[in-house]
Amino acid sequence: MLAYRQGDAGAFEGLYARHKGPLFRFVLRSVKERSLAEELYQEIWMRVIEARGRYAVQAKFTTWLYTIAHHRITDHWRKRGLQLVDLADADAVAHRAFEPEARAEGRQDLQRLAAALSGLPELQRETFLLHEEAGLSLAEIAAATGATEEAAKSRLRYALARLREAMDDG
Amino acid sequence: MAETERDEKVSAGYRALGSEEPPRALDDAILQASRRSPARWRVPLSIAAVLVLAVGVTLRMLPPQPDAESIALAPQVIETPRPASAPPAQPKEQAKLAARAAPAPEPAAAPAMAVAADSARRDEVGLRAAGVSLSPEAWLARIAELRKQGRTREADESLEEFKKRYPDYKIPETPR
Repeated sequence: MLAYRQGDAGAFEGLYARHKGPLFRFVLRSVKERSLAEELYQEIWMRVIEARGRYAVQAKFTTWLYTIAHHRITDHWRKRGLQLVDLADADAVAHRAFEPEARAEGRQDLQRLAAALSGLPELQRETFLLHEEAGLSLAEIAAATGATEEAAKSRLRYALARLREAMDDG
Repeated sequence: MAETERDEKVSAGYRALGSEEPPRALDDAILQASRRSPARWRVPLSIAAVLVLAVGVTLRMLPPQPDAESIALAPQVIETPRPASAPPAQPKEQAKLAARAAPAPEPAAAPAMAVAADSARRDEVGLRAAGVSLSPEAWLARIAELRKQGRTREADESLEEFKKRYPDYKIPETPR
């Protein structure tokens, strides 16, 4: 990122290639709607590009990237308001978002996992995705989300417990 | 990956859910945006606003513009401060000087206004880059996405709008 900040456009391409998949899935599984996910994903990268002059080596790039993503998705949730708590809808959307892959695999446990993931409270789901998809440590999750490390740990534990339970339910 | 908070079964299940990637058009739009010169979009909006305000205040403080009659009288005004050693101005030169002298406030204001306009234009680009509105590349990607979704009419309308907005933009691949 420092190289990109100093004008090395190729450095950005390397960063982008490394982070695009995890970030896209993080956003997609956070908002559950592909077109919306694409829009938010693009906005996050545009913010990275725009903010490159302000990037400082205080945290690793991944943490910085997901801090931006966290803020953008939080804005989105705020705009959506009450839709967030409708778990029935969330489950329905989850099936639309994940069913093709899960069905193709012919695995009901995956379908249950997808539904459980989608039905998690936002903060738990975000924590799980930051951990599992982005590979952030608890300290990094805490930094990216503005939470304490204890809170991040607690959210992750709850999320893992619920997801495990869903997979074992068959 | 961190520490003790990990469940291998959940991790394996999660990975099996799929590995979706962003569409190629989106990759291209983002990479193109990243290659733009930072000077084009890093001028803050506040600078443009300050410049516009400064120009406005300056114009208000300046004396009123001379009218056609005062332009005709200008040669005499110009003549008086000329140093004694300088040769007298020829009529042609006088006319030139008059033409230059008459709209005196404008040359001072015009560059500032041009700078302000340029800043505003660069800021517009900056705001688009920040996602406030779409960049040309992102716009084209959006059109391609509309076509993919079968929303042909919207895509056509959007493309027409795009061509009006960016008549000189070379569209790399027609999003049809």
